[in-house]
Amino acid sequence: MGSDCRFFRLYRINQSFHSITRNLVTGDFAMTITRRDVLLGATATAALVPFAARAQTSEVVIGVIYPFSGGSAQQGVDAQKAYETALEVINKDADFDLPLAKGEGLPGLGGAKVRLVFADHQADPQKGRAEAERLITQEKVCAIIGTYQSAVAVTVSQICERYQVPFVSADNSSPSLHRRGLKYYFRAAPHDEMYSAAMFDFFDAMKKKGTKIETLSLFHEDTIFGTDSGNAQAKIAGERGYKIVSDIKYRANSPSLSAEVQQLKTANADVLMPSSYTTDGILLVKTMAELGYKPNAIVAQDAGFSEKALYDAVGDKLEGVISRGTFSLDLAQKRPMVGKINEMFKAKSGKDFNDLTSRQFMGLIILADAINRAKSTDGEKIRDALAATDIPGEQTIMPWKRVKFDEMGQNNDADPVLLQYVGGKFVTVFPPQAAIAEAIWPMK
Amino acid sequence: MTAQAIIQSLASGLLMGLLYGLIAVGLALIFGLMDVVNFAHGEFLMIAMYATFFLFAFFAIDPLLSAPLVAAALFVFGAVVYLLIVRFAMRAKANAGMVQIFSTFGLAIVMRGLAQFFFTPDYRSIPQSWLGGKTVSVAGIFLPEPQLIGALVSIAAFAGLYFFINRTDFGRALEATREDPGAVALVGIDKNRVFALGWGLGAALVGLAGAIMAVFFYIYPDVGASFALIAYVTVALGGFGSVFGAFAGGIIVGLVEAVTALVLPPSLKSVGIYAVYLLVVFIRPRGLFGSM
Repeated sequence: MGSDCRFFRLYRINQSFHSITRNLVTGDFAMTITRRDVLLGATATAALVPFAARAQTSEVVIGVIYPFSGGSAQQGVDAQKAYETALEVINKDADFDLPLAKGEGLPGLGGAKVRLVFADHQADPQKGRAEAERLITQEKVCAIIGTYQSAVAVTVSQICERYQVPFVSADNSSPSLHRRGLKYYFRAAPHDEMYSAAMFDFFDAMKKKGTKIETLSLFHEDTIFGTDSGNAQAKIAGERGYKIVSDIKYRANSPSLSAEVQQLKTANADVLMPSSYTTDGILLVKTMAELGYKPNAIVAQDAGFSEKALYDAVGDKLEGVISRGTFSLDLAQKRPMVGKINEMFKAKSGKDFNDLTSRQFMGLIILADAINRAKSTDGEKIRDALAATDIPGEQTIMPWKRVKFDEMGQNNDADPVLLQYVGGKFVTVFPPQAAIAEAIWPMK
Repeated sequence: MTAQAIIQSLASGLLMGLLYGLIAVGLALIFGLMDVVNFAHGEFLMIAMYATFFLFAFFAIDPLLSAPLVAAALFVFGAVVYLLIVRFAMRAKANAGMVQIFSTFGLAIVMRGLAQFFFTPDYRSIPQSWLGGKTVSVAGIFLPEPQLIGALVSIAAFAGLYFFINRTDFGRALEATREDPGAVALVGIDKNRVFALGWGLGAALVGLAGAIMAVFFYIYPDVGASFALIAYVTVALGGFGSVFGAFAGGIIVGLVEAVTALVLPPSLKSVGIYAVYLLVVFIRPRGLFGSM
C-alpha cells in the first residue's frame, strides 16, 4: 500500500514535470507586478472618467501590447517610456514640426485625449492573441500598436483583422508580416529585406572602393525574426554574388554558443552577419573572444546590437561593429527637434532613443494622426485614414523620405541607415546622404 | 571539418558539461534526500548570479573571491527555504507530491517577480574580472579561463561532496535520513535539521556554480530557466537522487550537446540531449546511476 502511494506520487510528479518544465523555458507562467500595475492603473483611470464624457469620445483608447515580463521585459519597459513620450507630444502642446504636436489632444475629435492601455504578451504568440482579444473586447481600444517580437505580431494582427481594428506594427521587422493579405496591418518602418538590401548596397559600395568582401557568415536565431532575416540575407547574397561560407541557425537563449562560434571561426568569412536578440548577442560576443575569433567586420541586423545592455556588457570588444538601423541621433544636427524629443525620452527612461524606441514613438504619432484625420474611433474609418497617410520625412524623427503605405500596409520610403559603433557611440556611415563619417574597415 | 575543430568542440562540451553537473548536483542531492523536486532551482542559480554581480558592482569583489561568500549566502537561503516553505509543504496529508511541486514552483514565480521588480529586467554582466575574457590556448585549442576554473571548481566540489557524504558524521546522517527518515529519529537524529542542512548544501552548490557563471554569462531575472531545464535532464539522465549521477549526467549532456551541434544544425543541438535521455529511459528508466 505504502509503496503503491509512493509510486503513484512519483508518476504524477513526472507528469507535471513535463508540462511545467516546458513552461519554465517559455516563461509561460510569469505574472508580474508591472502588468498588474498597468491593469490597475488602467481600471482606476477608467473609473475616474465620467460615463457620459466617455460616450462623447473625450478620449481615444489605444492598446499597446509588449513583453513586460519574461526574457525581453526590458524592451517592454523601454517601449512604455517611448509611448508615454509620444503621448506627451500628442496630448500636450509642443512646438515640434510633427503631426499633432501643436495644440492639445486630437483636434479632429474635439480635442479628445489619447489614453494608452498596456498589455503584457510575455513574448508568447498565444498570450499575444489572448491579450489582443481582451484589449479589443474588454478595454474597447480603437487600435493596437506593438509588439517587439515578430512572432507575436503574427497572432495579434490576425485578431485585429478579425475584429476590424487597425494594427500598427511599430517595431517588427519580419518581411513576411505585411505579405499576408491583411487589410488592417500597417508598418511605417522598414522590414528586414529593406535593411538587408541596405547592407548589401553598403558592401557593393565598399567593394568599389577596393575593400575585399567576398564571403559572408550568417548567424541567426530560430524564431521568425532570425529566420526571415537569414533567408533575406541569403537571397540577396545569392543575387549579388556573395558567397555564404556558413549559415548558422541557433536556438534562441542557448546556455552555450561554443559549438556555433567554433563553426563561425572555422569558416572565417570576410563579414559576420548576426541576427540576434540581446541575450544571445552578449553570449556570442563573449564566446567569440574566448575562442579567439575576431572577424574582419560584423554587420548586425539590429535587435540586440542596438541595445545599451549589450554594449554595457561587451562594448569593449565591439569597437567598429556596424548595425543597421532606422534611427540615428546624428539626425539631431540637421533636425533640432530630434534632439529635443530625445531629451524628453531620456528624462523618462534614462536612455537615448535607439532603433526600437524611436520607431515606437513614431508609430504612435502616425497612428494618432490617422485617428485624428478619421475624426472617429471606428476601426474601418481609422483604417482608411491610415491608408491615406502621407507624411513628409521632415515631419518625423526618422531619416525616412516619407510615410506612405502601399496596398499591403508597408511604407517603402523608410530608408534604413547603417551605424558604426565608434568610441562609445553610433555614427551614421551609410547611405551617403545621411552619413557623417566614413566606415572604419576592418573593425578593431 | 578539421580534427582541431572536433577537439575544440569536445573540449568546450566537456567544460560546459562539468558546469552543468555542478548546477544540477544540488537538485539531485535534495531529491535524493527527501524525494522533493526543487522547481525553483533555476531561480537559486539566478539569485546567486545577481549576488555575485552586486558584490562586484558595489564592493568590487571579484567573482573568484565572492564565490565562497555567495555559496555561504545560498546555504542560508536554502536552509531558510526549507524551514519556511518546504517543511510545511511536506506536512500535507493528501496530495503531498502536488503540494511540494506547487510550493517550490510558486517560490520560483515569486523569486522571478521580485527579481524583476527590484533588479529590473535589464541584462547585467560583469565586464571586467580576473578571469573574464581570458583564454588559455593549447595547440590551437582555446580553453576560456572562466569555464576552465569552473570545471576545476566543479571537480573539487564533487570530490569534496563525496568525502563529505562518506566520511563525516553529518554525511552519514544525511545518508541514513535518506534511507529511512522514520528510523533515524529513533537514534536521535533530528530529521528537520538534516533536511534543512541538505537544502542549504544543495543551494550552496548551485550558488558556487552561479558565482562562476556570472563571470561569462549575462544575468537577468529569467536566466535560470534555460539552465534549470538542463539541470532536470542532467539529474534524470544521471539518476534521480544520485550525486555521482549528476556529475556523469552533466558531462554527458555537455558532450552530447557539443557533438550534436557538429553533426546537426546548431538549432537542433538539444535534440541530441533528449534523444540520449530517451535512450536511457528505454534501457534504464531510473537513470544511469539511479537506485530505486
